[in-house]
Amino acid sequence: MPKIDVQTLEKELRSIVAEITEVEPEKITLEANFVEDLGMDSMMALEVLASVEKKYNLKIPEDYLMKVTNLSNLVEIAKKFLKEK
Amino acid sequence: MDIDKIKRILPQRYPFLFIDKIIEFEKDVRLTALKNVTVNEEYFKGHFPAIPVMPGVLLIEAMGQAAIIFLNLNNESDFDKPDSPDIYYLCAVKARFLHPVKPGDSVIIDVTPVKLTKNSGIIKAVAKVDGREVARAELTGAKQR
Repeated sequence: MPKIDVQTLEKELRSIVAEITEVEPEKITLEANFVEDLGMDSMMALEVLASVEKKYNLKIPEDYLMKVTNLSNLVEIAKKFLKEK
Repeated sequence: MDIDKIKRILPQRYPFLFIDKIIEFEKDVRLTALKNVTVNEEYFKGHFPAIPVMPGVLLIEAMGQAAIIFLNLNNESDFDKPDSPDIYYLCAVKARFLHPVKPGDSVIIDVTPVKLTKNSGIIKAVAKVDGREVARAELTGAKQR
């Protein structure tokens, strides 16, 4: 897989989160809390993780589900697993 | 797997049990189920009196029931225990209906896991009649919310 830069990764992940939460991309800042600010529930979080896995062909373990609290750490998690690929 | 075993897994009963038989199960990979649609189905009385068509929501229900059987077999639930089997609540559905299902159709439902966790899962389901895809869906479910 070609290397993707952080800006592209952030943009792509933001659009995944926007589609699942049905929140406008502009409101999904790096620090906006998925649950409190964007109204995400545990099932949406699972859908986000599954979409990220599908898009980048990754396998992210279940333990990371609770760690996805904002876009910033979703980017970090995706980066970590892309690097390990 | 016959209807007796299916009834031990699914709590649904007539007229809301939409799986007749399990054709194949492969742990972590897939399950194939059969639903034979007969002209005697309750819902054909009203949907529609002149043109009997299986409601799309009931195809989703059949897919959901196949998914519950898959998850229970996959988790190796002990069906003799009082709290078994696991009940899953449907949380989200993305679906597409491609062809009407009519009396006489044998609907083959294939379910495959997209993402599984201990308490929840996303399942992809494809329904076919005579090899032709009639509906497909992605179902998200959890044991509790």
